[in-house]
Amino acid sequence: MVLLGNDEFLMELSKLFQKARSSGSVTMTMKRYDGRTKPEPRDGTPVVKNPEFKCLVRAQSRSKKISTVIEQRDVEKFTTAYSNLLKTSVNGLKRLKKPKKKAMAAQ
Amino acid sequence: MTFIPNWEEFEKSAEMLYLRDPLNTRYSIKYSHSKGVFLVKITDNKKCLQYKTEVQQDVRKIDMFISNLIRHMASNDN
Repeated sequence: MVLLGNDEFLMELSKLFQKARSSGSVTMTMKRYDGRTKPEPRDGTPVVKNPEFKCLVRAQSRSKKISTVIEQRDVEKFTTAYSNLLKTSVNGLKRLKKPKKKAMAAQ
Repeated sequence: MTFIPNWEEFEKSAEMLYLRDPLNTRYSIKYSHSKGVFLVKITDNKKCLQYKTEVQQDVRKIDMFISNLIRHMASNDN
């Protein structure tokens, strides 16, 4: 599992989407992360004293796995970039056509 | 592994599930271009909810929901 910076992660993710266009799928997982790097101690003391919550994002396609951590100050920048990436990549689904009222009345 | 047919219902249940245990809840999205399927799953290791769609119109709703979740996860709210 490769841990990347936010921008690198987005670049690699767009490559994953392109590679998976002909076959296969891309899976993305998001989870809240409190910054812990050590296992929970047996005496019950909390793992992180003043948790600064971040968001852990992982993506995988076939056998390639990447991940990144989003800090609070990078949230807006990442969400807008990520949104754009999804909108441009996720475009092979069916488009429902709403029957227009005039057309219905004419029939 | 319950599939919820309605997006609004899925969104409400997913939010409730996340707010009950924000640290142990994770959210997964899977897109398969060749099959034309977009799948969303949320779980807190006790309960799991899924939503599946083949419709382009749902992408925007799912996208807004994801952004809200990321924002909430990376903040100190409870």
